[in-house]
Amino acid sequence: MGLIWVVEAILLGCLLVNRFADLSVVRPAWARWSLICGAGAAVGIGLTSALYFLCGTLLGMRAAALGLEVAVLVWAAYEAFRRRAPAPQPAGEKRAPLLISIAAISLLLALAMATAAIATSWDANPQGNWDAWAIWNLRARFLASGGALAQRAWSSKLDASAHAEYPLLLSSFVARSWAFSDSFSTAVPEATSYAFFLALIALVAGGMAALRGPMLGLLAALVLASTPALLHQVPNQYADVPMACYFAGAIVFALLDRPILAGIFAGCAAWTKDEGVLFLAVLLTVTAALKRRAALATLAGAAPAAALVVIFKTWLARGNAGLLSTSLPGAGKRLADVGRYGITIAAFDREFAGLGVGWYHPILPLIALAVVLRFDRERRRDAAYCGALVGFLLLGYFGVYILTNNDLTWLLQTSLNRVLVQVWPVLVLAGFVGLRVPQAAVIVKPVPPAAKARRKTRRLQMF
Amino acid sequence: MIAGVVIAILLCLWGSFASYGSESDVQQQYRDPYMVSAQFTRLGGVLSAIPEGAGIGYITDAPPGSGLEAGMFLSAQYVLAPRLLKRGTVAEWVLGNFSRPADFAAVGRSQGLLLQQDFGEGVLLFRKAH
Repeated sequence: MGLIWVVEAILLGCLLVNRFADLSVVRPAWARWSLICGAGAAVGIGLTSALYFLCGTLLGMRAAALGLEVAVLVWAAYEAFRRRAPAPQPAGEKRAPLLISIAAISLLLALAMATAAIATSWDANPQGNWDAWAIWNLRARFLASGGALAQRAWSSKLDASAHAEYPLLLSSFVARSWAFSDSFSTAVPEATSYAFFLALIALVAGGMAALRGPMLGLLAALVLASTPALLHQVPNQYADVPMACYFAGAIVFALLDRPILAGIFAGCAAWTKDEGVLFLAVLLTVTAALKRRAALATLAGAAPAAALVVIFKTWLARGNAGLLSTSLPGAGKRLADVGRYGITIAAFDREFAGLGVGWYHPILPLIALAVVLRFDRERRRDAAYCGALVGFLLLGYFGVYILTNNDLTWLLQTSLNRVLVQVWPVLVLAGFVGLRVPQAAVIVKPVPPAAKARRKTRRLQMF
Repeated sequence: MIAGVVIAILLCLWGSFASYGSESDVQQQYRDPYMVSAQFTRLGGVLSAIPEGAGIGYITDAPPGSGLEAGMFLSAQYVLAPRLLKRGTVAEWVLGNFSRPADFAAVGRSQGLLLQQDFGEGVLLFRKAH
C-alpha cells in the first residue's frame, strides 16, 4: 500500500514538470520524456516531502497534506489531458543509427543487471544498512507517528548517532508514505532509493542527449548505471543516492538554461543532507561567476527549500550541534597539521579507486571515449562550469575532513566512499559535456525557445 | 571512432556484470548482519507493554562503546520508535537488552531496578524501585 504513495508522488512530480518546465523543445522525444520522468520523480519526492513536513508534522494537519497533494494531482492530470500534444506524423520518423540502438540496448541491459543486483539486497537486507535504520528510517518512524511524537525526529534527546541535526527530505518522504498507508512497509524506503537511482540515470541520459546528442546521453547514463559503488549504495537506503540525483539534476538543468529548476534541485539537495548546503553555496557561487544572468533565477528556485533548511537548523533543531560547529574548537591546530592532509589525500585516492570492482573502474569507459572522441573546444564553457562545481565541491569536502574533530581515519573510512558516490555523476557530466559528438545528432542548444516569449503572455512560467 | 565507442560500451557492460557478481556475493555473505529484522520479533512484547509516548531507560551487558553495544541499542531504538530510548536507568521504565544469559533480576537489583517482565531472548522490562 505504501508503494502507491511513492508512485503518486512521482506521478505528481512528472505532471508538474511536464506542465511548467517547458521541455517541449527538447529533442529527441525520448530525451524529453527521460528528463520529465527523472526530474518529475526527484521533484515529486522533494515537494511531497516538504508538504508533509510543513502541513503534517509542523501544523499537525496530515489530512490537509494528503488532500492538497491529491487536489494538485487531479488538476495537473486534467491540465496534461487538456494540453496533450497532437499525435506525431509517422512518415517523418527516422530510424536511429545502429550504434545508438546498441547503446540503448546496452543501457537497458545494464539497468536490468543493476536492478537484479539491487534486488538481492532487498531480499537479504530489507531494513537497509546501518545508517538507514540508525538515522534516516528511524527519524521517518518518529515523523510518521504524528503529533508531538514527530518532534522526536529532531530532538536533542535522540542518540547523537541518529544525527537529529540532519535535514529531513528523505525521512519526511518515507514517513509520509508510511503515514498515508498506515503501515511501516520496508518497500517504501527500498522503492524511494531505487526511484532516485532511476531518476539519476534518466536525468543524465535525457540531459546529456538534449545537450550533446543521443549517443553521448546514452553513454553517460551507461557509465553511471554500471558504476559498482553507486549500485552498492542504492539498497543501503542512505541519503547519498538522492544527493547524487539532486546534484546531477541541478547541473543538467543549469546547462539546459532552466535556472529555476536547477535551483529547485539544489534546494532539495540542501534539504536532504548537510553536504547539500555546501553544494547549494557552490552552485550559486559558480553560477554567479560563470552564468551571471541565471544566478538570480537559480537563487529563486532554491529559496523555498533553503528557507526550510534555515528554519529547521536555526529554530527546530538548534539544540543539536552539527559537524562544523563541533569542529570549530581546535580547528586552527588541525588546519596546521600537515599529516592530516596526507591521510586525507591518500584516502581520496584509495576511495576513488574503490568506485570500481575487481579490475573494472568506471573511469575506464570515460578514458576510452576521451581518447577516441577528444574534447570539443566549443563546449569549454560548459566543461569549465561543471569542472568548477566538482572542484569546489571536492575542495569543500576535503576542508571538512581536515577540520573535523572526529577521529579522521574512522570518518574517512565510514563516509568518503559515499561522498564520492554523490560527486561521481557530476564528474561524469563534466567529462561528457566536453566530449566531441561521435555522430550526427539533433542537439538542442541551451537557449530558451522562441515560443517561450509568446507563451509567457498566456500562462504562468514557473521554471 | 566507432571502435572506441564500442569499447566504451563493452567496458560498461563488463562493469555491470562485475557489479552484479560482487553485489550478489556481498549480500549472500552479509545477510542482515545486525539482525535488525529479527529485533521486531524479539522486542515485539515490549511494543505492547510500553505506550508510544514513553521514554525508556536502557541497560545491556554489551561492552560500552563497542560496535555490538551500538548495534543493539540503535536497532532496539529503531524497532521501538516512537518510544525514545535513553542509555542508563534514567526513566521509570528500563529496557534490558542482553546478549548472554544471566541472573537478570540480580542485575536489575544492583542498579536499583525491579524486574517486571521477561520476554525471553535477553529482553526484559524493569521498573525503578522506589
